[in-house]
Amino acid sequence: MSLAQPPERFREAARAALADDHVEQALDEATARLYGMRVEAWGALDDAQALRERGREIRVRTVAELDSHLDAFQQALEARGGHVHRCADAAEARAAIAGICTAAGAKLVAKSKSMATEEIGLNEALEDAGIEVVETDLGEWILQLSGEHPVHIIAPAIEKTAADVARLFSELDGSEVSTELPELTRFARTRLRRVFETADVGITGANFAVAETGSICLVENEGNARLVTSLPRVHVVLLGMERVVPTLADLSVLLRLLARSATGQKLSSYTTLITGPRRPGEQDGPEELHVIVLDNGRSNLRGTRYQEMLSCIRCGACLNVCPIYRKAGGGAYGPVYSGPMGAVLVPLLVGLEQAPALPHASSLCGACTDACPVKIPLHELLLDLRSDLVEGGIASRGERLGFTLWSYAWSSPLGYRLSTALARLGMPLAGLGGPGRVWAKGRAFPRLSRRYRDSR
Amino acid sequence: MPTVQLFATCLGDLAFPDAVADAEALLGEAGFEVEFPRSQVCCGQPAFNAGHRAAARRVGRTFARAFSWKAPVVMPSGSCAAMVAHRLPELLGREPWEVYELSAFLAASGFEPRRLNEGRTVAYHDSCHMLRDLRISAEPRRLLEASGATIAPLPRQDLCCGFGGTFSVRQPEISLAMADEKLAGAAGAEALVTADPGCITHLRGRSERTGGPRVVHLATVLARGLG
Repeated sequence: MSLAQPPERFREAARAALADDHVEQALDEATARLYGMRVEAWGALDDAQALRERGREIRVRTVAELDSHLDAFQQALEARGGHVHRCADAAEARAAIAGICTAAGAKLVAKSKSMATEEIGLNEALEDAGIEVVETDLGEWILQLSGEHPVHIIAPAIEKTAADVARLFSELDGSEVSTELPELTRFARTRLRRVFETADVGITGANFAVAETGSICLVENEGNARLVTSLPRVHVVLLGMERVVPTLADLSVLLRLLARSATGQKLSSYTTLITGPRRPGEQDGPEELHVIVLDNGRSNLRGTRYQEMLSCIRCGACLNVCPIYRKAGGGAYGPVYSGPMGAVLVPLLVGLEQAPALPHASSLCGACTDACPVKIPLHELLLDLRSDLVEGGIASRGERLGFTLWSYAWSSPLGYRLSTALARLGMPLAGLGGPGRVWAKGRAFPRLSRRYRDSR
Repeated sequence: MPTVQLFATCLGDLAFPDAVADAEALLGEAGFEVEFPRSQVCCGQPAFNAGHRAAARRVGRTFARAFSWKAPVVMPSGSCAAMVAHRLPELLGREPWEVYELSAFLAASGFEPRRLNEGRTVAYHDSCHMLRDLRISAEPRRLLEASGATIAPLPRQDLCCGFGGTFSVRQPEISLAMADEKLAGAAGAEALVTADPGCITHLRGRSERTGGPRVVHLATVLARGLG
């Protein structure tokens, strides 16, 4: 899977989403619901700002010393009998996971929700190796059945309504499945039970990895991750290299932030800590535990202005609060990461020239920065990325020339007076081409009468 | 009499001269002597927000040449106030000015507007720069209420109107959809009032096309009433 996003793709996808009332309504309702729950959960905290500041401090400090924390994590996990594989890019990670599955003689893999596996295009790679892969998170399973990609990092099928899902399930079943939610979940549960019971390998992402204990922390509400990590013989974890935290005490702060920001919960229904494979005398858990530590461009950010983006805990709060995401939908940002976090992260992972529209997929309203539980200055980073587009010569020649000419004209009061007098004369032509034409398609121009300075 | 320097802003000077005149009148009513530096041009914000920092610096220098550090600079624009207060000093390597957005300045000086809007109902739109950068949201509302107006709350007051400078022409479909939502939320009010010429350009331009509510600058509503 490529994260790259051609220049015109955002606008085209957004236009399609806007034209679909059904998608717009689903997006509006779902983001408003998640937004409301988050605001309420934060409101119930005594000192939410202090908790945010603690979370930020933990993430910034950890990312600054990432290597030593990763080493500590690896050492602790290996002492518990787990295996660690460090992978520089998506291809290495895919090969490592496919190798583990093949060695285990796997025919069926059960997956729980993981954006990192979307990032590396894991499912396609495993299918190419002749292995059946089944998503067990309800939203992800729905998307797998319909052949689509997640459009939200927390609620992957957020643009689907119960009616959409019932239609999909009915097709799969060959008989009518009702739109009632208990009915839909019962249907999924029955179908997925077989997968949990017979899968040879379970694959998950990781919300966090704890360095002091070598533990993997998984946060979920459906219980599928617990089954995926306890029933199959082999458990493979794909861990984004930045998601390590030093101690369990640090983890508890981040868990409080994550659940509140993502779904407005104090704690998710299931928060699981996995420390090594099954030990002698234990009833369940995998015989083998492998953790794939994924770089895939993350190191690009280290030591740069953008290092703070590695603090992201993938809560989705910035998506729910973003007025652009609400209208454009997640697909506009590309197949994996979306909303403000995606607009910042994707160009940094794949290179600005591969996703030049994303830094501009924002009105810079700053709602994302206000919502971020670890205080990443998302809209400030977008501003800096815009500057990089210009400095790097990626912004169009016409745009650069336009701003340069404008800036010379407006670098003196005389130039300002002359150029604006000309502009006033040229107003009848303003809507004929370029940005003026785009403006005039939906909006009237302001009337340029007499300048204030001339009337004073 | 204490002196203030008035920054019309480029949009104010070119497109909304009446609102700037209203701002000047309000500052006079509040007991300030208003200086209008003749060489002022623009703060450079349009270029800065689009990523063109060299261009922003070139234009921003006109601000540093026009305005002194000796008296407060007041402007009828939240986004320009945010630019001048939080970006320009670093961009130019200059000392920060004492910068105020108009309504925050009037409120802080204890100004009581005349009761020109008795019995009128308006909606107030927070510009994002005022709401989240300058953290000004209570002051304009207090002034509107002191002028006699009742404020009809907009749904989801936190949402941007969709202007966003070059965003408005890079993503026009989303930008217009956001404007339509904002205008629809104000349908029950006599006017949609805001204190940012950027939002006004966008919202009024859209409203004129769709037959939506009047969009008026806060300074006008306070200085002359809704009319």
